[in-house]
Amino acid sequence: MIISRRNLFKLGAAAGTAFSLPSIVRAQSISDGRTARMVISNLSVFDPVVTTSDPTHTHAYAIYDTLFGVDSKFAPQPQMVGKWAVSEDKKTYTFELRDGLKWHDGSPVTAADCVASIRRWSAVAPGGQLLIARAKDISKKDDKTFTIALNEPLEFLLNILAFQGPFIMREKDANLPPTEQVTANIGSGPFKFNQGLAKPGASFTYDRNENYVPRQEPPDGLAGGKIVKVDRVVWENSLFGDQQTAVAALQAGEIDFLAQPSFDLLPIIEADPNLAVQVLDKSGYDNFLRMNCLQKPFDNVKARQALLYLVDQEAFMSAAYGNPKYFRTVTSMFGNETPASNDENTGWFKKGGHPEKAKQLFAESGYAGEKVVILQSTDWPEASNMAQVLASALRNIGINTELAPSDWGGVVARRANKGPVEEGGWSVFITNDPEASIGTVISGVTLPMNGEKGWYGWPRNDEYEALRLKWVDLGTQDERKQLARQMQKIWWDYVPTVLLGQHVQPIARRKSLTGLIGVPAWIPFWNMQKVSA
Amino acid sequence: MDPILEYAEGLCLMGAYILRRLISTIAVVAMVGVFVFLLLRLASGDPAAIIGGNTATPEMVAAIREQLGLNETLPVQFVHWAAGLLGGDFGTSIFTGRPVLELISQRLEPTISLAALTMICSVTIGVSFGVLAAWRAGGLADRALTGFAALGFSIPVFVFGYFLIYFFAIRTRWLPVQGYVPIESGFAEWFTHLVLPTAALSLAYIAFIARVTRASMLEILSEDYMRTAAAKGASSYAMLFHHALKNAGVPILTVVGVSFAYLIGGVVLTETVFNIPGIGRLVVDAINNRDYPIIQSVLILTSGLYVLINLMVDLAYTLIDPRIRY
Repeated sequence: MIISRRNLFKLGAAAGTAFSLPSIVRAQSISDGRTARMVISNLSVFDPVVTTSDPTHTHAYAIYDTLFGVDSKFAPQPQMVGKWAVSEDKKTYTFELRDGLKWHDGSPVTAADCVASIRRWSAVAPGGQLLIARAKDISKKDDKTFTIALNEPLEFLLNILAFQGPFIMREKDANLPPTEQVTANIGSGPFKFNQGLAKPGASFTYDRNENYVPRQEPPDGLAGGKIVKVDRVVWENSLFGDQQTAVAALQAGEIDFLAQPSFDLLPIIEADPNLAVQVLDKSGYDNFLRMNCLQKPFDNVKARQALLYLVDQEAFMSAAYGNPKYFRTVTSMFGNETPASNDENTGWFKKGGHPEKAKQLFAESGYAGEKVVILQSTDWPEASNMAQVLASALRNIGINTELAPSDWGGVVARRANKGPVEEGGWSVFITNDPEASIGTVISGVTLPMNGEKGWYGWPRNDEYEALRLKWVDLGTQDERKQLARQMQKIWWDYVPTVLLGQHVQPIARRKSLTGLIGVPAWIPFWNMQKVSA
Repeated sequence: MDPILEYAEGLCLMGAYILRRLISTIAVVAMVGVFVFLLLRLASGDPAAIIGGNTATPEMVAAIREQLGLNETLPVQFVHWAAGLLGGDFGTSIFTGRPVLELISQRLEPTISLAALTMICSVTIGVSFGVLAAWRAGGLADRALTGFAALGFSIPVFVFGYFLIYFFAIRTRWLPVQGYVPIESGFAEWFTHLVLPTAALSLAYIAFIARVTRASMLEILSEDYMRTAAAKGASSYAMLFHHALKNAGVPILTVVGVSFAYLIGGVVLTETVFNIPGIGRLVVDAINNRDYPIIQSVLILTSGLYVLINLMVDLAYTLIDPRIRY
């Protein structure tokens, strides 16, 4: 068969049309102004009681509602609660749910659901455990009203319910043990989880809850009216695995939002006129070293103090986050800008670190060449880089140091080992915590010094613990500030952690996605909208 | 011997051979099962700690571990798992609580689509290139194709993948960057989403198949009977495709079979680069999360598939070369 030039041209044109057709179809689906496609993080657990992970809480804020929410100034504001009152002796709190609250299956939210949710949450959450320890009775009065009766007053009760407080679930879900996952994903929040379109590991779909009645107040942090301005949010789970592809997808308009763009890719995003880089969570994260206080050499306070002097925060932050626009130094155990932040006992801080002093303190601790094992999470590039900086700094002052590389899954398993390094234990690991979590004091899991009952590292100081437990009983901000200074005095003498600096995590978005609310660590889906670019 | 009897005897022998191979498949899968189970438990990692999250207390992690039955001894855990497997129950995902088979079946279509297109593309182009190179041995086409083959072997799939994304998805916007669209949503959308991943994944296989085809064809083309065919005036087409390619088929088929098996590894990387929600991504996520039931099930099914592909290749030899008997 002979193909003429004209026929070849026609064939080429037809093939070109056929090939471009899907792009046209795709462009139409992308330009759907009512669907936001978001890459947030890897969502694999759906129950916020079972896990402390941030993506699960973002999911939970979408589909569940809370009794109270914290506003942008971290003050508790009613959310599901319409009216509340406290008795004169401050021992009985009465809460009445506002009208119109319904589960996604159409049934009304009742006080019994709230009571069951509080009980399940309080079995595991630090604030909840404190509440349940003080509670004489938590019970419903009628379908819309429940009470919390206390043995003694708890000034911080509303704060506890507002920040990392209970997500309200149906009573039958909340009756499950706190270690067993609730998988129904039926809440009363502003979005409905679309079970039919759920593809675990790939994508999850959230549809606007048309029955949701938002509060009348303007949105403010996690409080105020949760007004939904998109019909659907698609959580692109699997794109989180490859940053390069995720950024390419953002550039091509296949996704609208990338929660944690890699710091080395930010210049590419900033150069694209259709994209914006923005810091939503201005409170950021405090990065720190956690030492094993049960084993040599860090069972000795001098060795822990040596690390405090050794660290050059700018070097750690530069290695991890590169651009100084996104990090700064921090000296308060409560972070840079929380109500509890202060400068008590921070004389150890020196720009560039103080390696000679660190060497001297190690010698005073009786250090005799014991191996220091640093857990290095290789699938978390920033923490991995910081681990290498630490190893180098320790080797420079003659400390026998070994990096133990593994993925994060390996780190979290190994850090549970309380034994010596020869038996699979560890000496130091690196992580971070949202500053907001630390700043509220009572919800900060890393703040207690209650020994082997506490978080990994197991520091113990009874005097500090006595002070920490007073926090929830103080009525004024001045009293809390004073207590924070006392706590910090002991903290930096004992040194259960060593701060490496504070960083903020910018997000990347298409400019057509606007109205995102900045809250610590999580991404609210309400209020955001898609506009014509 | 009566030809019918001879045929029947041949069928019986082949049947016995297939049965033996299937029995060996079960043995291989069982060994893989034990090995994978032990390897996962001995490797560092704790799904309960991952579920609990960074700031979970040790007490909370211990409670989750208890709930998941991870505190039971290894033999007890193994017996539970193996008993389920024998009953056709591959278990449930530790994280999602969904049956593992359901999760795998959700991911099959993207992986099969990618693997099938890659094999079609690799075999078609690779064999054509190989035949062409052998036919024009020493010429420009041969040298160009040899250079291409070296390049194909040398460029990792993730480098070539990003290169394709940059030019065909970001610069020209001709094709999508990532993702997968099921075939029932439209053939064109399905196909365009698979063009770049298929191209990225095929490169090395095209190079591999082309080189083996070229080598086999060169060997056959130098045989006496090929010279005879040429002397008798056979056309180039007849010589290449009727005589040479058919005789060079066994090593090519072997390479195709091996490639298909190796493809399983290549798919993992390609699915990651192009965000295709297939089996590869499922396993990567499961490994990160230490979701043991998923990892174990996928590896068992993969090992079974690997052995079956080898069996099918062995059987296919008899179709290409009637002299081969089992």
